[in-house]
Amino acid sequence: MAGYSFTRRRAILLLSLTSVLLITLDLRGSSAVNMTRSAFGAIFRPIESATRVVTRPIQNTWNGITNYNDVLAENRRLRDLVAYDEGATVAAIASVREAQELLALNGLPTLAGISSCTAQVVGQSPSNFTQTVELNRGSECGIKVGMPVLNAAGMIGKVTDVYSKRSVVMLITDPGYSLSVKVVNTPPTTTTTTVPGQVAASTTSTTTTTTTTTTIPRTTTTTIKGFTPGGTAAPTTTQPLVPGETTPTGTVGPNQPGKNTNSPITVPAGADLPLRETGALEGRGLTKNPIIRFIENQPRFGSVAVGSPVISSGGATSLAPPDIVIGTVSRVVKRTGTLGPLLEVKLSANFDNLNFVRVLLYQPITERPAAP
Amino acid sequence: MIERLVLLAEARYTRLILVGLLFLSLQTTIFNEMRPFGVSLQVMLLLAGSCGLAKGSQTGAVAGFIVGLLYDMVLTTPMGLCAAVFAVVGYLAGFVHTFVHESTWWSRMLASLGVSVIGMFMLPIAFTITGAEGVLTTEVFLVAFVVAVFNAALSLPAEWLCNWAIQDEALAR
Repeated sequence: MAGYSFTRRRAILLLSLTSVLLITLDLRGSSAVNMTRSAFGAIFRPIESATRVVTRPIQNTWNGITNYNDVLAENRRLRDLVAYDEGATVAAIASVREAQELLALNGLPTLAGISSCTAQVVGQSPSNFTQTVELNRGSECGIKVGMPVLNAAGMIGKVTDVYSKRSVVMLITDPGYSLSVKVVNTPPTTTTTTVPGQVAASTTSTTTTTTTTTTIPRTTTTTIKGFTPGGTAAPTTTQPLVPGETTPTGTVGPNQPGKNTNSPITVPAGADLPLRETGALEGRGLTKNPIIRFIENQPRFGSVAVGSPVISSGGATSLAPPDIVIGTVSRVVKRTGTLGPLLEVKLSANFDNLNFVRVLLYQPITERPAAP
Repeated sequence: MIERLVLLAEARYTRLILVGLLFLSLQTTIFNEMRPFGVSLQVMLLLAGSCGLAKGSQTGAVAGFIVGLLYDMVLTTPMGLCAAVFAVVGYLAGFVHTFVHESTWWSRMLASLGVSVIGMFMLPIAFTITGAEGVLTTEVFLVAFVVAVFNAALSLPAEWLCNWAIQDEALAR
């Protein structure tokens, strides 16, 4: 009995020590552990592929039983959405192209200038506690750890492990995910309805303000559904000349916001543009929407409106370039004191049906190797 | 040389690794897609517990460790974490069953249910200890319940399979 107990104790001690050793090695980023995982992946993939083929009929039956009604409803909804989006897409493409041209003219980075690698999602984490997916492309495509991954709808996550022909992506919903983001909030506006040819006047108890709006009659014909001509144009203001100010003649300098020049281009005044505020987006698991912390309580920013777009903020140390669509604000939780509000984000990408994705081969300036 | 390979293939832990690979491929394919109540069923945990039920606590601990290590290879969590948890599950399954005077089919299912619940609570705790955040939520209760019921339902065939896989070499011949 004593010998048996000793053997058992020794076995348990050995297993415990081995576990601790392995965990320590992995947490310290040992290359041996990565190589073992990579080698195991190479051996295991064919077995997994064979099992997938064999079990596909069972999976299809299960999906047929559990998801049939959802698929029908979704199909109807998607048909409506496609019809609506067809027109809006044309307008959006034109707007994006214009925006990219403007950014390029001003020497600002755009997504169009970043190479990417298209990959397919071949599996997801079988664990209930981590949200990762596996892609069928790896370092042979130029993918590196940290690169952002997006699909047609927007950002879905970042690369956390890279092997030669596969890589693992941590989804935005994973509790370990964090990213610097911008919330684009539209400032509160006063709407003035003006009948062409008339002067709109609003009177308060103390002061009287008169706003004159010159409306240029314009006839526009469009057949694109969901597209309002001029709807995407930023509001502009043109201020009259200050007494004593002279109008430059001949070649004029750069346009100044709100200043009248001879140039036909009028730069929108900053006060009317949507305000942006940065924060940190954190995942909270598949069943909960991610949240944004550290949004400051700036009076200029105003209160965050539900539906405000959330995009990546970029920056020298951020792993994602600026202006990747992430989602919209779905709920605003106000907090007392100097703490800013907590924002819940409804993600643009649908994480239930991830198939083809794009890995942006982007590295922040701080991560790029120095030129020789 | 061939004789050695045959002997190696007949070794009980080699058979367990082969069965483990089969279960792992099922885990990453069919049980990854079929998620009743949104929960991924854990057949690797079932295998670890069943080894303990079939062969006792010591063999259960070693078998659980091997099964957990296989699972660690496909997860992004630290290597050795599932191995440690599954070793405890295998050990507990064998240990708990020593208290049963005359084991019946339902006592085995009950034991499998119990150790599965323990395993599904230990996993997020272990993840949290190693630095993961946001995994210890109330959702763990639902996950543990669904996984435990499924594992209890499949414990008898799994135990039979484990009995075959880790039986002595002489008996296997």
